[in-house]
Amino acid sequence: MSQSGASIAPDCVTTFNDLKLNKKYKFIIFKLTDDYKEIVVEEASNEGDWEVFREKLLQAESKNMKTGKVTKGPRYAVYDFNYDLAAGEGSRSKITFIAWSPDDAGIQPKMVYASSKDALKRALNGLAVEFQGNDTDDIEYQSVLTKVSKGLASS
Amino acid sequence: MASQPMNSSMPPNDTYGGDEIQAIILDAGYSSVRAGFAGEDTPKSFFSSSYGVTGNRTIFSDEDIHNPLLPELEIRNPMSKEGIVEDWDAATQLWEHAITSRLIRTKQGDPRKNGLNDVGGKDGVDVDMDAPDEEEKPLEEHPLLITETAWNTSKNREKAIEIAMENWGVPAFWLARNSVMASFAAGKATALVIDLGASTASVICIHDGLILKKSVQKSPLAGNWVSSQIRSLFGSVDPKVEVTPHFMISSKTPVDAGAPAQATYQKFENKITDSFRASEEERVLTEFKESVVQVYPGPGRLHYPHPVNGILNLENVKMSPGRVFEFPDGSNQMWGVDRMRIVEGLFDEKYALPTSEPPITKAQTIPEMVRASVSAVDVDLRPALLANIVVTGGTTLLQGFTDRLNWEISSLFPSARIKITAAGLTSERRFGSWVGGSILGSLGTFHQMWISRKEYEEFGASVVEKRCK
Ligand SMILES: Nc1ncnc2c1ncn2[C@@H]1O[C@H](COP(=O)(O)OP(=O)(O)OP(=O)(O)O)[C@@H](O)[C@H]1O
Ligand SMILES: [Mg+2]
Repeated sequence: MSQSGASIAPDCVTTFNDLKLNKKYKFIIFKLTDDYKEIVVEEASNEGDWEVFREKLLQAESKNMKTGKVTKGPRYAVYDFNYDLAAGEGSRSKITFIAWSPDDAGIQPKMVYASSKDALKRALNGLAVEFQGNDTDDIEYQSVLTKVSKGLASS
Repeated sequence: MASQPMNSSMPPNDTYGGDEIQAIILDAGYSSVRAGFAGEDTPKSFFSSSYGVTGNRTIFSDEDIHNPLLPELEIRNPMSKEGIVEDWDAATQLWEHAITSRLIRTKQGDPRKNGLNDVGGKDGVDVDMDAPDEEEKPLEEHPLLITETAWNTSKNREKAIEIAMENWGVPAFWLARNSVMASFAAGKATALVIDLGASTASVICIHDGLILKKSVQKSPLAGNWVSSQIRSLFGSVDPKVEVTPHFMISSKTPVDAGAPAQATYQKFENKITDSFRASEEERVLTEFKESVVQVYPGPGRLHYPHPVNGILNLENVKMSPGRVFEFPDGSNQMWGVDRMRIVEGLFDEKYALPTSEPPITKAQTIPEMVRASVSAVDVDLRPALLANIVVTGGTTLLQGFTDRLNWEISSLFPSARIKITAAGLTSERRFGSWVGGSILGSLGTFHQMWISRKEYEEFGASVVEKRCK
């Protein structure tokens, strides 16, 4: 269980395993249900264009439980990130966990996502890299490439 | 098993944090106590952490502790110089007052709880002890979440649950680390949290919601230290500046900048204690901090040449306009570069002004604490921490503070990406950890986390050590 008490829906793990073992998906976006009780799969996709994925995060919304007000929303995501090494030493694949929490999201969803993250991460075995993103730059392809490859990718 | 959440032994109770039963969040610091209902945006009850003792009466009231007419009123604080509880008797009464006077209705007729406090102190506590079962306890309907510092002692943690359960009768309890709450409220499970309060400055690495123990750094370079720097400055200028608090002035006439005050002073029959006077002076110093004091924002440090034009930064600053401050007695003057000199020690120990305390060390400065904290954690984690710096606490509201911090950390870690998150709203910066606790305590799912009364009765106070990490 997470620090917030929110739980993980079983399909989070099965979908993740489909991405990891069967290469069925390129990315998975997870969200908390509107009552903040459970983390569920919002979308699993084999769309390969990073920009499409990025746009989905940028458009994500959350609803304040008390006031109903809708703001930009945090999400968790797993991305099967591939890149070529600079020295021509072939390519690498890194399953990357992203905790997306835009600075302009509401404080309530920010708090709930941050305090529920530990449990999801623990449930997903085989994550190679992870990072937190809080503004649009953090999830620019180039900046993610640098983070994930630790600067070793060819550009 | 003690480490199991309570829903394993009893059906979930959806009403905690719901509409019927509201949890209370208590965030107590050296300078103030913040208390309020879970789910609200700001703490309804905001109290000074100081209390008064006059004769054999103990006074917990934001008004009365400023009343010079109370005979030989001494001002005390239950917190230690490290911002953790030192005097549990006083803390218990002060916190209970902060909660009962502003948040919950209590039965009329019990003078201990009707806000008058006249019989506080020992009498009130004795009542509890004589008739523990008969008396209705104040928090029987409210789960309580208390925040604590990363360096709180085990003894203090157990004492906290004991007070909550035994004295206040709470149905459920939780202890949350204030730095973790502030980090979560900024949307971060992993962060470097820099907190400058009144008594303590701290730098703490948090990873996936847990404090990395080796990374905890703390020092006294916070608000109270800044106050002592201001006093040092006031004592060193010519003529010396005497801080005459508001309560001593009966009337004043405007005077020119730098001219002696023209005021008439109050006469008091009763003795004014040093602690009362110091506490009133502190209010003036806080006004001075808010409106005059400024951190040299960088680039570079105040006493070093500017990286571009080579001129001493101090000299550059002298050319910018100063700020006027009017003291309660009407005297006023312009504060030039001195307004920056007094806080330079936060970053550069060599330029701290002398005080009666031992000189500060380099290791106590904010940049060195950041260096030590980050160096104590795994290399792989450092980039994530430096890109997720959360700044919280009242003293970080000093003008220019975050700009300077950014410059300092960037020069410590030139190749890292540094990003500082500091809530723009004053209230969020000062109440960051309260707000985090408020949201957490309001979640329906959090009912599984609370330590229930039953668990406490079964396992004793040490259950907090197992459950609240
Ligand atoms: N605008 C401001 N500029 C500078 N300092 C300020 C400002 N507002 C408050 N302070 C200082 O901030 C301090 C209080 O901050 P805060 O409420 O974070 O402390 P606390 O949590 O009670 O104390 P501690 O963390 O030491 O237990 C006081 O020293 C006060 O003088
Ligand atoms: Mg504090």
